Amino acid sequence: MITLKDKILSKVTKPTRYTGGELNAVIKDPKTVDIRFGFCFPDVYEIAMSHLGLKIIYHTLNTRPDTYCERVFAPWDDMEQEMRKYDMPLFALETGDAVTHFDMLGFTLQYELSYSNIVNMLDLAKIPVLAAERSEEYPIIYGGGPCAYNAEPIADIFDFFMLGEGEEQVHETMDVLKEWKKEGKKSKKELLERLVKIDGIYVPSFYDVEYTEQGTVKTITPNNPNAPKTILKRVVKDFDATYAPDTIIVPFGEVVHDRVMLEVMRGCMRGCRFCQAGYIYRPLRERKPETLLSLADDLLSKSGFDEISLSSLSTSDFTGLPCLTDGLLKITEEKKIGLSLPSLRIDNFSLELMEKVQKVRKSGITFAPEAGTQRLRDVINKNITEENILQSTALLFAGGWTNVKLYFMIGLPTETDTDVCGIAELAGRVLDVYFEIPKEERAKNINITVSTSSFVPKPFTAFQWVGMNSREEIIRKQKLIKDSIPSKRIRYTYHDNKTSYLEGVFSRGDRRLCKSIIKAVELGCKFDGWGEFFDFDKWMQAFDQTGIDPDFYTARERSYDEVLPWDHIDVGVTKEFLMNENEKAKAESTTPHCRLECSKCGAHRFKTGVCTERRGADNG
Amino acid sequence: MAKYIVKYGRDDRVKFISHLDFVRCFHRAVRRSALNFEFSQGFNPHPVMTIAQPLPVCVTSESEYMKVGFVTDMSDNEIKDELNRRMPPGFTVYAVRRVEGKEIDLTKINMAEYITEIECESPCDIEKLLNEKELVVPKKTKSGIRDSDIRPHIFELEKLGFTDGVMTVRMTVSCGSTYNLKPETVVSAAEKYIDGFSATFCTSHRKSMLIDKKEIM
Repeated sequence: MITLKDKILSKVTKPTRYTGGELNAVIKDPKTVDIRFGFCFPDVYEIAMSHLGLKIIYHTLNTRPDTYCERVFAPWDDMEQEMRKYDMPLFALETGDAVTHFDMLGFTLQYELSYSNIVNMLDLAKIPVLAAERSEEYPIIYGGGPCAYNAEPIADIFDFFMLGEGEEQVHETMDVLKEWKKEGKKSKKELLERLVKIDGIYVPSFYDVEYTEQGTVKTITPNNPNAPKTILKRVVKDFDATYAPDTIIVPFGEVVHDRVMLEVMRGCMRGCRFCQAGYIYRPLRERKPETLLSLADDLLSKSGFDEISLSSLSTSDFTGLPCLTDGLLKITEEKKIGLSLPSLRIDNFSLELMEKVQKVRKSGITFAPEAGTQRLRDVINKNITEENILQSTALLFAGGWTNVKLYFMIGLPTETDTDVCGIAELAGRVLDVYFEIPKEERAKNINITVSTSSFVPKPFTAFQWVGMNSREEIIRKQKLIKDSIPSKRIRYTYHDNKTSYLEGVFSRGDRRLCKSIIKAVELGCKFDGWGEFFDFDKWMQAFDQTGIDPDFYTARERSYDEVLPWDHIDVGVTKEFLMNENEKAKAESTTPHCRLECSKCGAHRFKTGVCTERRGADNG
Repeated sequence: MAKYIVKYGRDDRVKFISHLDFVRCFHRAVRRSALNFEFSQGFNPHPVMTIAQPLPVCVTSESEYMKVGFVTDMSDNEIKDELNRRMPPGFTVYAVRRVEGKEIDLTKINMAEYITEIECESPCDIEKLLNEKELVVPKKTKSGIRDSDIRPHIFELEKLGFTDGVMTVRMTVSCGSTYNLKPETVVSAAEKYIDGFSATFCTSHRKSMLIDKKEIM
């Protein structure tokens, strides 16, 4: 039988983005469940299906007989056009049903540049965009993930946010939602009053924001007796015992991370001052190697993937790494499975480990010195030395690797032209290291790539107060590097400054930006993370038409006594600690990592992970 | 190590999978199974596997073939059952047969039978179409789109019915590496040669693939 879906799907690229039915996708009869839930990822299938959080929430929710969690992704432009032409609303992949009247939609907020897609998806779903305009017949919509910590620019769109780790929260939320639905979905406000009692749930409509004459936030005040003054993020206490799916969906088409991902750790102990992930996921917690090996075995045998990768913020800091890799290599060698170890640090980098892992092909390796001079690396607390970098690359070149990528940021606080040129100079010294190796001992065709992105100050980091470099300044610095690269064997690539600028606006934005986002979508903005769609001029037009000066959010240095739009959110790390870190940055003074010494960031409140480990220099 | 011919098919649920994606999908199914691929020799070993004829996107089938090397003690039937357990829903393996040498040469496939549903306001006069001496239509070849006379490549064409604006036909046409005729090309010829006939959409099901008019297995 010819169906409308057949007709539409025959016309679009990569139709398996929209068909569902992949191996291990969960099939349930929607009639048998109490809650229809849509896990929404505001980007295209290949990105969404590479996201670890989706896999966790999807499978943990589907262990509940009362809930059917389906996947809902942003259709690519060709599909969107067909859907609009045939008036087909946004649908869930598993059943193909429209999500317009699902009970709940949960959006994952991974990056600021996906905000326009959220608005566009709601529009496609025929759901009113603003929370205040959605009555009980529409889904309750929440957001989670890293951007939820300062989701103020999209606060008016969401009914609530889940702060922190969702493994337990989602279940508590479903329990409350199920009750409320049983009682006849009386009032949304009443539901939110019940939900706000769950730890880590933030209901933005329960807070009033007032602004000063200068345009900064004056006060953030609860307007509902149930709303706490500050909302503390949620942390799973026993990470080793925390739910991890033992099965994953196997996409038909190729996705970005087409492999099994094994989450070995959560959090990071390093404390790089620019890094939001390093602060918001504290404290560092590890899974036991035996837990991971058993998971790996299940995931591989149930999926048939031929690659497995370790996922964490800094894999080399995993105490069980030797034991885990030995165990994994037993599995991977026998089954001809590739093992990849991203996020290795340059300082305790182990060539032996790399040799073991990359037996056949010596593909490229990326190092992230982040800054070109020791002074600036101390400012950002990167805690690696030039000697570390040169020693590691020497080992690499001697071991036969020839593709080395060096990743840096430009526009960091206190950065001078000396630091910027230092990037090119460091790359030059890495090349010298290669030439110092006798010709017969080194591989041919050295290839060094220097890559820079522009620093975007983020909330809940030591640099949340600093001004961001203007686009002109970034362009000048990019040119400076280009002109200082000492050899043709070093390639220089850099990240577009316009998208970074927009990211800068939203990362430290407030509620007044919501109207700009909605306006931008009206003007046609979507998929802002994609070069083929990103339209900077339209965004500037949207800001202009909604009376927003985007520079107010990016360029301005904040004073410590300014109320920040996210001051009612508590990630565990205290504002005092971050201020102190910012001051230490100015003084070019470093802070030791958590295993060397506790610097009293505040995360010890969660009483878990590295905060409860025995400390000492020998643990470093 | 032994070579097997696998006869399989797919239904509507998985008909949008491209040829290359199917190959990867099958590789993964075997990785999940108790079977082991025979790997090619060389620097970059890959499973020994040849698919007779790529199945176009949006086409379902009950008659696909591949030749594949397995290292296993299982019987033909056990392999069939194991593959059916491991393939994603929507695929069916109908038969597996261990073969020696060129006992079955899948490259000799030269004919396929399709059931095609054509969305159209009124049905087309099949007899009139078949009475044409030549049916010259643009056809995709390796060297771009070229005009080709497809009439000699239509062996059978019959109308099975017409209901609710959908005409169903059965056709047997050339298939394989020498000349491959797709059902939609036949439909485009009907649009060109039969006055007033216009199709807005068509979808096909491959019913069989034949070597010299004979079923392969």
